[in-house]
Amino acid sequence: MSSQSTQSTDGTANTDDVLRLENVTKRFGGVVAVDDLSFSVHDREILGFIGPNGAGKSTTFNCVSGAFPPTDGKVYYRDEDITGVPQYALVEKGLARTYQTFRPLDDRTVLENVSLSMVPNKLFSIEEFRTDVEDRAKDICQQVGLTEYMHQTPDELPHAGLLRLEVGRALGTDPNLLLVDEPFAGLTPEEVERTATLFRSLRENGMTLIVIDHNMHGLLDLVDRVVVISFGEKIAEGSPEEIRNDPTVQEAYLGGEL
Amino acid sequence: MTRLDLEPRQAVGIVCLIGLASAPFLLPVLTLRQLTGALFLGMFAMSWDYVSGYTGQLSFGHSMFFATGGYTAALFNLHLDVTPLLAIIIGTIAAGILGVVIGVPALRLRGPYLALITLIVPLILVQIVNIFPGTLGGEAGLRSPDNLISVGDTIAPILSTIGFETPFDQEVFVYYYLSLLLFLAIFALFYVFTRSYVGDIFTAIREDEDAVLASGINPAKFKVFAFTMSGAVGGLAGAAFVHTPVGNPNPGLLLAVVVSIEVVLIAILGGMGTITGPAAAGIGYYFVRDFLQSTVSHVSMVIFFSVALLVLFFLPKGVVPWLADRGRTLLAWRDQRGKPTT
Repeated sequence: MSSQSTQSTDGTANTDDVLRLENVTKRFGGVVAVDDLSFSVHDREILGFIGPNGAGKSTTFNCVSGAFPPTDGKVYYRDEDITGVPQYALVEKGLARTYQTFRPLDDRTVLENVSLSMVPNKLFSIEEFRTDVEDRAKDICQQVGLTEYMHQTPDELPHAGLLRLEVGRALGTDPNLLLVDEPFAGLTPEEVERTATLFRSLRENGMTLIVIDHNMHGLLDLVDRVVVISFGEKIAEGSPEEIRNDPTVQEAYLGGEL
Repeated sequence: MTRLDLEPRQAVGIVCLIGLASAPFLLPVLTLRQLTGALFLGMFAMSWDYVSGYTGQLSFGHSMFFATGGYTAALFNLHLDVTPLLAIIIGTIAAGILGVVIGVPALRLRGPYLALITLIVPLILVQIVNIFPGTLGGEAGLRSPDNLISVGDTIAPILSTIGFETPFDQEVFVYYYLSLLLFLAIFALFYVFTRSYVGDIFTAIREDEDAVLASGINPAKFKVFAFTMSGAVGGLAGAAFVHTPVGNPNPGLLLAVVVSIEVVLIAILGGMGTITGPAAAGIGYYFVRDFLQSTVSHVSMVIFFSVALLVLFFLPKGVVPWLADRGRTLLAWRDQRGKPTT
């Protein structure tokens, strides 16, 4: 089954795919964290990427976003082989991510955190970009709902604010594809709804998103399609409705915590 | 209050600058000579701060750069008759190359590798100097290379008229200003870089490299850049130092482990990641150390280092940031008191 998918994607370029994983495997010593995983993400799609805790979701994200290369398999971004390309280079190509455990820089303000993602990856630049950067950073703060916290440091933010900051920093890199790692954990239903609205508006502006979650509560209304993995393997793929009624998925979640 | 919109810290900076510029007319000539040496210690400390204070990549062997710059320049001048100016440039480049050679492998890895590697490199250099006493001078150091410039017949009469009559006085005068120029140039260079977006990236690397990667910036590139530039500037200071009358290529001044440790200590005392702190602390440290060494016994050095230890305990951010904080609090307090009455 897996060899079939490699052959069909060789040669004929499916330009609708923003991201394509082909037989991606990641082993840590003897542990197989991701096992022969293949799926693709279409342009302007919001893909839900779900699985129980420890299923390998974040490891897959790390392989895709360049934190470490997969042990086996290929990752394509807009039909370009990006397997093993370092993270900063992928960000320049338009592939950004957020972290499940937030990574704010506590030594500077929220605005400066967002600004950092807009500075050039160059040692010398004489362009006068500073005021421009600040204006754009302010716009992004407004977009993600952080205007009132702009001049505070991240340690003063509430949990939901830190998530917005993660998203804001990713937006600062002007991404085309955004990988969002478990954004709804610890949010109130109201905040989940606001965050989902933000993601929808991003998609309307032409962005493609992959959203990780360990269950489908927050995702059902948001996503177009769902990929489910368990123990590193893909166990189902389809529309949210199909996934809800899939017996394999229900079994993976032991009693339908879905 | 629209006379001159100066922030308080700018005003302090200008006062310091005027003080340094007018020092030859205020200080005895021997103190001025000491101040010249102190400026070089300040330059060494700034070079350390630029890489370690900002990016958090600790170098425990920065003396390798001062020595590489100083010894390379001296050797080229002594053995190949290269002019002092060209020798200084060659020394600077040699130190920069050392920065790349050490920095590229050490900084691509995360963690304490740089600290460990920089601990070892000066030890190797010290042994090399001892193995070739004929060429490298051994423990006693090399004889002094030529001075950068000689006080010519044109400047001497002018200096005499403003009170610097003996050749020694005139030499001290000229080299003080040369050293001050270099000190200010290095300060300005580091200041401009650390206050630009490059400085933002450096401090972000210190905070969290993953956040830097996620922002689309290659931390390894900026770490190697910081280390190399710091090394080259440290080498420049070392090379210029040996071509002045106050310094010579001597392991105790440029290469010994204690030199590296003192530079780290100065930068931490002054305030890591500020450039101004290490620059000021380097000058102060030189005088305190000199006073204790020349007047009293080893006991006073014990007291001195103990005081340094206490400063680190109670002012972990360093003296200059603490003073700046105090100053701000004081100004805020004054403003609050001033408001209701006006």
